[in-house]
Amino acid sequence: MPARTSLVRVAVGLSAVAFGTVGCRGIPSEKPPIHLQQNMDFQQRFDPQEPNPMFEDGRAMRLPPEGTVPVGWLMEDDHLWRGRGPDGRLVDALPPGIKLDRKLLDRGQERFNIYCAPCHDHLGTGRGMATRRGGGFAVQPKNLHEPRLAAMPLGYFYKVITDGQGTMLSYAAQIPVEDRWAIAAWVRTLQASQRASASDVPEEARNRPVPKALAATRAPEGGAS
Amino acid sequence: MPAIFPRWTNHIPVVAGLLAPLVGAGLIFAVWYWFSPKFTDVGYRPKQPVPYSHRLHVSDVGLDCRYCHNTVERAAHAAVPPAATCMNCHSQVKSTSPRLEKVRESYNTGAPIQWVRVHQLPDYVYFDHRPHVAAGVGCASCHGRVDLEDVVELKEPLSMSWCLDCHRNPEPNLRPLDQVTNMAWDPAEHDYDPNKDPMRKRKVQPPTHCSGCHR
Repeated sequence: MPARTSLVRVAVGLSAVAFGTVGCRGIPSEKPPIHLQQNMDFQQRFDPQEPNPMFEDGRAMRLPPEGTVPVGWLMEDDHLWRGRGPDGRLVDALPPGIKLDRKLLDRGQERFNIYCAPCHDHLGTGRGMATRRGGGFAVQPKNLHEPRLAAMPLGYFYKVITDGQGTMLSYAAQIPVEDRWAIAAWVRTLQASQRASASDVPEEARNRPVPKALAATRAPEGGAS
Repeated sequence: MPAIFPRWTNHIPVVAGLLAPLVGAGLIFAVWYWFSPKFTDVGYRPKQPVPYSHRLHVSDVGLDCRYCHNTVERAAHAAVPPAATCMNCHSQVKSTSPRLEKVRESYNTGAPIQWVRVHQLPDYVYFDHRPHVAAGVGCASCHGRVDLEDVVELKEPLSMSWCLDCHRNPEPNLRPLDQVTNMAWDPAEHDYDPNKDPMRKRKVQPPTHCSGCHR
């Protein structure tokens, strides 16, 4: 029947026009989402990192006023927060509140791989991926196994992560204090691993196959033997 | 006396009877299809003030998500990093690139870079990243394969029904706790059973009641 075919034609035509003008789902667009009903989507408060035009610098998040200390941030423990003993020298031990165990080293390894490996690589030789891209670093990151660094006390590595050193900037804002100590402990572990001999490995563990995850973290040059 | 209505008006009931359901169906379809966040929100890909490429930094250089978004395990909000985080490397790499001018300016003056937010929930939703990361929901489950994107794009509708789909049946979206930031880990490729994972201390039981997300 012609009436019906024309009806189908009109329907197809209309939907083609609709899809053509309004668009399909999932099309990339630079235009912000359209929300017809904005009921309470945006409330009279500020989320983290949102702008607030009331302040001169435009930030909703405020810094603590100068000369004030937020609760819990007095940082009076020199050993924990600055890696220094009562004599002001860098300590070679973990703070009393942090226990050296498998959990700490696992945490240290994980955090090292997140925050340090991009430049220092997973073994700490200073040839991370970030240094191999985009023209490379003007100053090569340190090889953590060089004799000068291998001889440094544990607190030194904590201090470098916290304050930065040379061209390396501070990581204090990115890594909480306990994690910085965990990373320092892992740096020590890496250093020990590169100077170890077969006799350091317990008898029963010597012929164990290398775990897949560990094999993947080895330097392509095959530094570990 | 001539007829008041011409003959063709006899067709009105028939045509109207045929058209009305079609128009009705068309309207229902239009609302279902175009009023959904799958249309209004998905695909949002704003131009950012600095042309930062996640593909370059994640897939090529191999940065972990948490290198920059380091608050994701400790705070509700997964922070966009300050320029200081960029400068960790970019004080060395491409340190004179004009594309990084805004980063250097922000680092030197303290004025924030005005990034455009892509994943924005309504203010009455109190989303918290912490329990999701701790439960082993991968970044890619909600954000898509950001590691393959040069420009961040909204990939999921972030609607309430979409949230509830997972809250009612979370298991297909759970992964081993150490694979959360591994963008390439595909749940479909692994036969992973969260209930048999010894690393998990308790069963994942997401809330489906109102106050789970609304206060």
